[in-house]
Amino acid sequence: MIDSRTISKFQIRGLLGICVAMLSIVGQAGAADSLRFEQDILPIFYHHCFGCHSEKQEKPKSGLRLDSAKGIIVGDVIVAGKPDESELMKRVSLPHTDKDVMPPIKGGAQPLSDAERSMLRRWITDGAKMGSWVKFNHRGAALPADDVVLSPKDVKQLSLEVQKRIDQFHVDKGTKLNAPASDETFLRRVYLDVIGRIPSLEESTRFLESRDGNKRSKLIDELLLTEGYVSHMYNWKADLLRINSKIAQGQPARLYDTWVKDAIRSGMAYDEFVRKLVTAKGYLWENGAVGFYVRDLGMPLDHMSNMTRVFLGTRMECAQCHDHPLEPITQKDFYQMVAFTYGVSNLGSPGGYSPDNVKQYPEIKAKMAALPKDEAFGQSVSGTIAPLKRLTLDTNMQLKFPDTYAYDISLRGKLVEPRTLFADEAIISGDDRRKALGDWMTSPRNPRFAKNIANRLWKRVMGVGLIEPVDSFSALPNPEHAELMDFLTQTMIRLRFDERAFMAVLLNTRLYQSNAVRENPEPGVASALLGPQLRRLSAEQIWDSYLALLVKDIDKRKFISRDGGPLDPSYLRKLTLMTADEIIAQARIDQAEHTRKREAGLRRMEQQKALAAAKNRGDEKEVKRLTAAHAEANRGMAAEPEGEPITTETDPRWKSLPTNFIRASETPLPLPLGHFLRQFGQSDRREIDAFNRDPNTTHSLALMNGDLTTRVLAEDSYLRKQFAASKLQGQQAMQLFYRAILIRSAKDAELAEITAVMKASPTPEQDLIWALLNSPEFLFY
Amino acid sequence: MNSILTDINRRTFVESFAKAVFGVSLLPSFGITHAAENKVGGKAKSVIFLYMRGGISHIDTFDPKPGKPEMGGVKAIKTSADGIQISEWFPLLAKQMHHVSLVRSMTSTQGIHDRGTYLAHTSYFMTSTITHPSLGSWAVKQLNPVNAVLPGNILINGSPQHPRSGYMPTQLAPLPIVDPGAGLQNSTLPKKISESDFVRRIALAKALGTPFVAQTPHRDAAAYLKVQQDAASLMKSEDLKVFDISHEDKKMQAAYGNHTFGKGCLLARRLVESGVRFIEVEDAHNWDTHNDQIKQMENMTPSTDQTMAALLEDLHQRGLLKSTLVVMATEFGRSPQISNTTAGRGHHPGVFTWWLAGAGMKGGYIHGKSDEIGEHVAEKPVTMPDCNATIAQAMGIDLQKIEHSPSGRPFTVADKGKPVDEVFA
Repeated sequence: MIDSRTISKFQIRGLLGICVAMLSIVGQAGAADSLRFEQDILPIFYHHCFGCHSEKQEKPKSGLRLDSAKGIIVGDVIVAGKPDESELMKRVSLPHTDKDVMPPIKGGAQPLSDAERSMLRRWITDGAKMGSWVKFNHRGAALPADDVVLSPKDVKQLSLEVQKRIDQFHVDKGTKLNAPASDETFLRRVYLDVIGRIPSLEESTRFLESRDGNKRSKLIDELLLTEGYVSHMYNWKADLLRINSKIAQGQPARLYDTWVKDAIRSGMAYDEFVRKLVTAKGYLWENGAVGFYVRDLGMPLDHMSNMTRVFLGTRMECAQCHDHPLEPITQKDFYQMVAFTYGVSNLGSPGGYSPDNVKQYPEIKAKMAALPKDEAFGQSVSGTIAPLKRLTLDTNMQLKFPDTYAYDISLRGKLVEPRTLFADEAIISGDDRRKALGDWMTSPRNPRFAKNIANRLWKRVMGVGLIEPVDSFSALPNPEHAELMDFLTQTMIRLRFDERAFMAVLLNTRLYQSNAVRENPEPGVASALLGPQLRRLSAEQIWDSYLALLVKDIDKRKFISRDGGPLDPSYLRKLTLMTADEIIAQARIDQAEHTRKREAGLRRMEQQKALAAAKNRGDEKEVKRLTAAHAEANRGMAAEPEGEPITTETDPRWKSLPTNFIRASETPLPLPLGHFLRQFGQSDRREIDAFNRDPNTTHSLALMNGDLTTRVLAEDSYLRKQFAASKLQGQQAMQLFYRAILIRSAKDAELAEITAVMKASPTPEQDLIWALLNSPEFLFY
Repeated sequence: MNSILTDINRRTFVESFAKAVFGVSLLPSFGITHAAENKVGGKAKSVIFLYMRGGISHIDTFDPKPGKPEMGGVKAIKTSADGIQISEWFPLLAKQMHHVSLVRSMTSTQGIHDRGTYLAHTSYFMTSTITHPSLGSWAVKQLNPVNAVLPGNILINGSPQHPRSGYMPTQLAPLPIVDPGAGLQNSTLPKKISESDFVRRIALAKALGTPFVAQTPHRDAAAYLKVQQDAASLMKSEDLKVFDISHEDKKMQAAYGNHTFGKGCLLARRLVESGVRFIEVEDAHNWDTHNDQIKQMENMTPSTDQTMAALLEDLHQRGLLKSTLVVMATEFGRSPQISNTTAGRGHHPGVFTWWLAGAGMKGGYIHGKSDEIGEHVAEKPVTMPDCNATIAQAMGIDLQKIEHSPSGRPFTVADKGKPVDEVFA
């Protein structure tokens, strides 16, 4: 029995460390006459009550548990048929300012909405029925085994199956798909979605003039096999994995980029991709996948939060420091997950030389001890072997509960045993915790793994996820689109995580090939499945599209990296295998190189001083003389910082472009703040999906006056050359520019408008190109 | 059609520009918070945050150890403030020391550049689940704009790694000025494009873009057509001149120095005059002197000395130093020992110096102390969150006010750092 005195303990007593405000958006009220406990009432309890009142807490507040039928009917918490006598109803109905209001606003929880309150009231009035429900299963169930294997051959059929479910949805709702998209609309959209840029004139013409009845699905298949697909997919994955090529100092971090690109190109199955990341071992130059760990050096907790978010659609970061106030995820749950990866050398353990990471180390030490003491040379040896410190391997370091752990003081400082958050337990054979984690995570039985990638890929092409936010998965059933989501999950599993085939399934649906939804999506409202969501091109799509107007075959252009240097992979591979003697010999070479660089640095400093002095005097002749003399003196000394290209372009297709005009996926990050890609909101990859697409006047300034536009207008741009070669004039010329830039033909009214404005123009073509590049239409799809 | 630009009241246009670009409309409607009530601070209308990238040596600059071998032969000199000596490499700034509070007991645990820089700007440790906003974004988030037209937060010559507005809306991010000599990026017509070309083209763009916007209810589509017109007006606007340092007379330009830092600081002063809240200027020098400490300092300090001194003098002459806080910050100091092998100094977060000047700070004052060779804090340790809290307090930002990230995590400016009350006059 709970008397009112007990209930008063309900209040905000000891909300230790709980400090988070709202997040969840709870579904709207269900149909008026058919309240179902599990669909309608349980989510309210889950989002507003389970954070403190469930079996997940070591000590549920006031001993009250609302996650079981037995717990709910204790005392006068709920008095069936009498909402006004039900303590729960009273407490959730108090004004926000009342200290007894539930959930406690001070703890950061979100009050019930009016809709939720009235639903709760009706449910109690109707007798607080819970049907056969006994208790909430916090772990949820694993997916049943499914032996069906499908292949890309089945894409067409699967696409129809998906569409059938969409059509059924519309029948049930009395709605219908948007009108079918025209060939032009489809063409532009599918290029942007699959290869990340607009099609070139040739590409457009080839498709639009084809009479092949299957041309759309053929184009989809073709595009999925291009280098442009790899580039665009890489941007997407890199935003999720926060891949920043300069993040790990003294390490060839670009090899992580390369590994991810190779995995995409080779069609590595997504589950294998994730398993390889989770279980990665070795050096970056042996296995680029270790970048997954090197990226988060010294941040084992954040690493796990990010991992569950991107691979399982589940956010746990609140529980890094305390029990999650809005969901039944405890700090202990979180620590148990981290225990799987905590021992990884580059996450938890401090850096340093040991026989573990530098196997030659004991011998080098012995040999150095035998040599006469030479501090400078000792430092050189340390420098030579420094890259070898970052070996990713499993150490026996184990996670302990923090000294601040508040929920069971006796656990403080005790080892944390690894345990999965939901569904199956992981089976750890031997000591390999990461293998167990990877197997559990990527198993077809895992209820969130396939679903997460299916939902994220859906969002990638349709513009909005079936489940939003995409990282809001929990043990609750999906409120909307459950059947379609389940089918997509099953499809992903049956296609054995073939991302290309899965993309093809979505791209071939009539939904994808319908006209876009042109309104803003409403937060908290499920997609109405009318068509893809209109959205602004990403920074990368805009940049890459521009480049396609500037030169031919831009997708094939790569970053020209400088050979040699201490981070050259082939050198590092050699270094790894060197004997102690060879390393010592290498250190002598490195020492000499270092001395040479220092001298060069000092010389450059003197040179700059002299040059600045001459400039300040306004002595042009001397400036010229010095410039030439310095160039001569510095011959053979690379001045460029690490990783910058110094070679010049030799391919005639791209000679007109600077070496850093390559597709966004090829550009080393982070870029300078004024760079076009940064201006348009490219992610700096500090956080998951940290890109931004909000309109900003600096965008217009860049599109009007910036370097890219100036280059497209120039006579030697690919577009201008194509125009010159076409010999088209008048309205036909206008049509060419429309097709090249907006990928559609111009309407009569547009032609008339242009003709009127252009009549007196000395530069009609440039005017039109400029205006089309500056049309909002160019920025949306 | 070509009258669209002249038809519209310039002021209205630029104000809407400010809203669209700089998010002025997103600013809170409440007034300046009264955290500073009954407390010191609140006098800084603007802050100029000078950032020394790479970790500037404290011993060779503002915390010299006269006569110690750690000085590597560099001398300390007297300054305009009684009893305060600084390195001989700052002879001009020495004459401004009566304006300056040196905090010689700064200390941090972050010895890697990007992590130290991140802490210096955000007061939080770097994690990979969230990016925290830099101090300038806090300022424009919490304080009403002095000037409703210009952005409140500007970053001159900033590094790519700058945390900008972190989890806060991008409208609160600093507007980057890439080249202070060139003004606002892309705000002038490219070569060979005449005014009439531009007018014709913008008219055509508008005519062709309007039907698209009409059939696209998505708010961002219309916003793009609008920001385009706004940008066009901005290009003709008087306010753009604020960004153009060529309007300063030659003598003034020469006083600040003909280099990125000098131009950046001169621009910063112009922005202060126009009511910009927070301006960060990053020195173009890389102070990461692992090699040849003495020679590198000899090479880099003169221009920095010149600019810092010119800035303080100029602000003082104009009476702006009363309401402008100038801060010099860096990610860490450098080791007292000069390496035998490289003749440079290593990273040293254990103790280092930041300084503050103006806006009600004590002048000619030293807060805290490092030990006799500048290796550890000897007295009154101050962390970067503490110092940032001091700056926030000087600006009148509410140190207690919680701002939530979009994922609901609560944060406060300067991460609960304690303001150094002693530096307030």
